[in-house]
Amino acid sequence: MAGEDDKGKATRQASAGGPRKLDRRDVLKGLSTVPAAGIFGYAWYKQHQYQQAKIQAAAAPVAPADLQPINIALLGAGAQGQVLTDAMLRIPGLRFRAVCDVWTEYNQRRVVNQLKKFNYEVNAYEDYREMLDKEKELDAVVVATPDFWHSQHAVDCLKAGKHVYCEKEMSNTLEGARAMVLAARETGKLLQIGHQRRSNPRYLHCYEKLLGEAKLLGRIVTISGQWNRAVTPDLGAPERYTIPDARLKQYGFKDMHQFRNWRWYKGLGGGPIVDLGSHQIDIYTWFLGVNPSHVIASGGQLYYDPKTHEWYDTAMVVYDYDTSAGPVKAYYQTQTTNGSLGYFENFMGDQGTLLISESEAHAAKVYRDTNAPAWDPWVQKGYITAPKVQEIKEKDETAVTDVRESVSPDEHKVPIVLRDPYHQPHLQNFFDAVRGKGKLNCPAEIGYESAVSVLKVNEAIEAKSRLSFKPEDFHI
Amino acid sequence: MEDGKLSRWPMIAITVLRVLVGWHFLYEGIAKLSSPSWSAAGYLKQARGPFAGLFKSLAAQPDLLANADLITMWGLTAVGLLLILGLFTRLASLGAIGFILLFYLCNPPFVGYFYSIPSEGSYLIVNKNLVELGALLVILVSGSGLYAGLDRIVHGIVRRGSRFPTPWSGIA
Repeated sequence: MAGEDDKGKATRQASAGGPRKLDRRDVLKGLSTVPAAGIFGYAWYKQHQYQQAKIQAAAAPVAPADLQPINIALLGAGAQGQVLTDAMLRIPGLRFRAVCDVWTEYNQRRVVNQLKKFNYEVNAYEDYREMLDKEKELDAVVVATPDFWHSQHAVDCLKAGKHVYCEKEMSNTLEGARAMVLAARETGKLLQIGHQRRSNPRYLHCYEKLLGEAKLLGRIVTISGQWNRAVTPDLGAPERYTIPDARLKQYGFKDMHQFRNWRWYKGLGGGPIVDLGSHQIDIYTWFLGVNPSHVIASGGQLYYDPKTHEWYDTAMVVYDYDTSAGPVKAYYQTQTTNGSLGYFENFMGDQGTLLISESEAHAAKVYRDTNAPAWDPWVQKGYITAPKVQEIKEKDETAVTDVRESVSPDEHKVPIVLRDPYHQPHLQNFFDAVRGKGKLNCPAEIGYESAVSVLKVNEAIEAKSRLSFKPEDFHI
Repeated sequence: MEDGKLSRWPMIAITVLRVLVGWHFLYEGIAKLSSPSWSAAGYLKQARGPFAGLFKSLAAQPDLLANADLITMWGLTAVGLLLILGLFTRLASLGAIGFILLFYLCNPPFVGYFYSIPSEGSYLIVNKNLVELGALLVILVSGSGLYAGLDRIVHGIVRRGSRFPTPWSGIA
């Protein structure tokens, strides 16, 4: 011991091991680090303030004074409902009024709490009918429930006089989808289907500028697209959040496992071709401007336990299109056992190639074929970047270039980056249309056409034969 | 310093160390508590090394994971606060060592393993987790809370005398 402590040492040491008194020094030294906790508290308060300010600034953009708020409700507060909520919180002029989800113990509570943080006084409902009865002021409902509920939810909301944004797939049955189109027509209310690439600025740029105006690809002859998803374990739920059996049955689920993993069950979801492929096959049709004429498909339950994964985990599909420029073959594959390469669509014409993806990992690139006219004007216009010349590396001397190999085309990037959440532009398009500014990018009719093309794949896998579409299949 | 004794300045230095480590734990805990969607799942899924299977299986079981999340969030917060205040310092140090050991074993920088998320430094076997663990060992054995911390007051009130001999208490 050293310093002032030495003075009290003798008595202290004598009493060590036995009872001793608490003196002033003990109290002072005992409390000596308490101020550190105070400083921490202050620092944390400052940090918290800073973060809140940042969230508010990013999430609740100031609405112009003349912007009439749109009263909205979220119907279905699961994973997709969460994605949409996060995107909507960045859109000015929305007022959240209600959240409806049958998983009151978890999903509903999570989104309600989140919205409360943003100062929205929302009412929570388990039954959407009760919500529609009580929330008279609602202008629009955003539906993100499991696919087999879409039709009933969307139709009832439309009939209650609300505009509806409904997640894709529009419905798991064509009858369901048809009822939605008819309800939208009868009520005159807007029904936007969540094929959000249709509002993505990168896709719009490629569609309008590169394909429409510049016709960079020449005549499109083949298309291929993929969605590769890594093995994902079944979703579970903590025991204490389990939904009582009676409620599960009431809403069409056998048990908690099926409730959490409904996408894999026939009658509830449509399998990976619908969950993943639907978005991309919709782009084939959009970019080509016609619906497919035939489809051939092969699929299988190759990997997962068929008892809990009733749908095909892998599907490989070839569509035929008869465009005004000539026939097109379009390949699509989705598999759920390997995530390499991610997801993308690749359009190949006689003058160039467009590789595009919603994912920033691929973004969009165009490749000019050697026989195409120069693309310099489009580079100058800023539609595409200056090319990165593809050099053939000669480091590997064992590699022999085949004389039949075409010269690698130059790679141009498409300079459009979406910095917002993927769903934000599509939701924005919907709310703009609700305000009477602009038209829906994916109204019910388009969603229906897409559903016809995609749902046919499961039918074709089953039938093991080439199925044809009639033009009238796509129209109601 | 003589055998078994720590003089005043080393004890002050160790107390500063205790407050710093406590601060780190406390904020790690509070940051997780105040983030509504935080879960250890992402971290556990990135597990590397000989115990990776164990950590990954924990991430795959929602019930266990929910408990692990709660224990981590509240545990880090409690341990951090106790270390700063010097209250139940030994227990808090042991708890902190437990946490750090788990974090270390989840992604140990052993030869041949790499962490898929880029780390901010270069480590071989020893990383900052292990250094913090070493610091906690010093705090544990020094009885720093009895020197400068609420333990000193609690100790005085309970009047049980020095149950554990501490290096600074002068008992050789």
